[in-house]
Amino acid sequence: MLRIASRAVGFVWHVALRYFRSTRADAHIRVLSSLTAGGLAVGTAALVLALAALSGFQNHLLRDLALHTPALQVELGGRVDSATGGVGSAASIVDRVTAAEGVVAAQELLYARGWLVDRRGVAAVEVVGYEQAPPAWIPVEAAAVPGLIVPLQVAQRMGLTVGGSARVASPRSSLTPVGPRPRVRTLPVAAIYDAERAGYEDLPVLLPLEQAAALFAGGDRRLDLTLAPAADPEEVAADLRAAIAPAEGSVATWRQANRALLFVLRLEKGLVFSAVALIVAVAAFALLASLSLVLSSKRSEVGVLAAMGVPPARLRGIFLTLGVLLSVGGAGVGVLVGAGIALLLDSFRVLSLPSDVYIVDYVPFLVREEDLFVVAFSTILFTGAASLLSARKASRLDPVEAMRSART
Amino acid sequence: MIFVAGVTKAYRDGEARREVLRGVDLEVGRGETVAIVGPSGSGKSTLLNILGALDTPDAGTVRIDGVELSAARPAALAGFRNRSLGFVFQFHQLLPDFTALENVTMPGRIAGRSAASLVTEGLELLGQVGLRDRAGDFPQQLSGGERQRVAICRALMLEPPVLLADEPTGNLDATSGARVLELLNDLRQRRATTLVLVTHNPAVASRCGRTLLLDGGRLARHQAPGRPLNRQRR
Ligand SMILES: Nc1ncnc2c1ncn2[C@@H]1O[C@H](COP(=O)(O)OP(=O)(O)O)[C@@H](O)[C@H]1O
Ligand SMILES: [Mg+2]
Repeated sequence: MLRIASRAVGFVWHVALRYFRSTRADAHIRVLSSLTAGGLAVGTAALVLALAALSGFQNHLLRDLALHTPALQVELGGRVDSATGGVGSAASIVDRVTAAEGVVAAQELLYARGWLVDRRGVAAVEVVGYEQAPPAWIPVEAAAVPGLIVPLQVAQRMGLTVGGSARVASPRSSLTPVGPRPRVRTLPVAAIYDAERAGYEDLPVLLPLEQAAALFAGGDRRLDLTLAPAADPEEVAADLRAAIAPAEGSVATWRQANRALLFVLRLEKGLVFSAVALIVAVAAFALLASLSLVLSSKRSEVGVLAAMGVPPARLRGIFLTLGVLLSVGGAGVGVLVGAGIALLLDSFRVLSLPSDVYIVDYVPFLVREEDLFVVAFSTILFTGAASLLSARKASRLDPVEAMRSART
Repeated sequence: MIFVAGVTKAYRDGEARREVLRGVDLEVGRGETVAIVGPSGSGKSTLLNILGALDTPDAGTVRIDGVELSAARPAALAGFRNRSLGFVFQFHQLLPDFTALENVTMPGRIAGRSAASLVTEGLELLGQVGLRDRAGDFPQQLSGGERQRVAICRALMLEPPVLLADEPTGNLDATSGARVLELLNDLRQRRATTLVLVTHNPAVASRCGRTLLLDGGRLARHQAPGRPLNRQRR
């Protein structure tokens, strides 16, 4: 059975290879098949390059993001610490979270919006209340005195210096005998940090959690978790979801917390891919045209083959194989050239970017296996569809009609 | 060997129906040679194509070598054509991308045999038609008569029990035609192959065991008896 099958394959190859060779003899078919090969080479090279450029950028972006976002975070519920409805205190949640396997530490943070006030005016800032030490993603040494940690840009704008003080105002007000008064506190400036890079417009002002809680009661409270290096965030997240009630907090991995961004990145890749894949689609049309031309010039021969007893499936096989022969060279060269160019551009940092614009000062390229797979798969899909169309036409040829059509 | 009963075939010609075959009956025994003559357009090729399972009749029975053609599925018919039938066409219909030897051995390749195992038989067949030293030539390097001789070798390659020839000499000059016909008969006789041959040429028909006239969509005995080339077993 296997031997019969392999002989059938042998026959299909035998004929397909001859037909492939004959495509060079006919001027029209030669032009079209060169167009096919060239188009596929350009198309796949462009696809590989475009995806490598996107992967390179996205890789840098995500790495940078990962540095600034905890692997796992717990968004605390609004009723935590309010002593109602059977919801545990923040402390008890922290205890349970840190008891989970793979969790090394949990830091409570409070997020709110407020203002820095000085004689010259008011600056709206994002405020983060921190426990013990500022979070790892703020590039600052632990401050000597508890107080404000201010981003350099804000400090310069408002003339703040370490050792001085600043007033922080909350949108909430306190009711006093003389009426509602804004909650304002004067705090020492403990440190100034420089995020060094543009790109983050909204750098937060940090202050100790107690002060923040007093000023901004009702802000968003979050636990940032530090995980053991070997821990799988998804597994830990599943454990935590079992350990804390939904009203106490919701657990999100880094990926879930950045769902929107990750979606946009994927969308970006999909759109670029679809646009560039049009080149491959056009090449597939050229393939369809050259296969149709081969078929019409071989009509009577295909009829003779059918008359001699070549079953329809093997006639299809001949034209499918011919389609592969006409496209594999161009596509292969394109993938290799595209990947080669991408690797060269990346390792020699050929394309440079102004360093103050983006997180890297060159255009990074990353050739990923799955991108190559997608390019190969889509190329096979396009060329396969073109080959299948003409193969079906070949196998449905009426031998009598075909032999009648061309007489030499 | 060949049994045909009540075969009809009509073609649609615009609005009109053209009935080409109106009830053809035919019986051909093993090793017999039958010539079919008739005016141009009388349906000779149509009948031969139906015998060769290349075309299907509108009604009637066709049985060849015990196989009921109308009952067989396309893949089975393909195998049947490969093993049991040899075709010789008016136009040689050789494959231009293959050498003479490759053309001759093509039915063997289709049957699933390796190229190497077919070379000896193919060269021997070419030798019998005097073309052994042209085995490596491509069809366009051969003359019309030589091409038709190669085509006959191809038809006989797998020693099919039935050979169908549609005006095999119609496209050749008298000398090459005679030569081709002689070869056809010679090779056929050695293998006791059943032959159904369509021809315009009375001289060609006269060399067959029996001559039938296709006219008005029916087959009838032809009235101009020729000298039989070989004894008949009826
Ligand atoms: N596929 C077809 N469609 C329409 N008419 C056809 C077709 N094939 C053959 N015919 C017609 O059928 C008739 C018989 O054709 P054919 O069998 O080739 O005749 P012969 O071989 O005797 O010259 C002719 O009139 C021809 O035009
Ligand atoms: Mg005819």
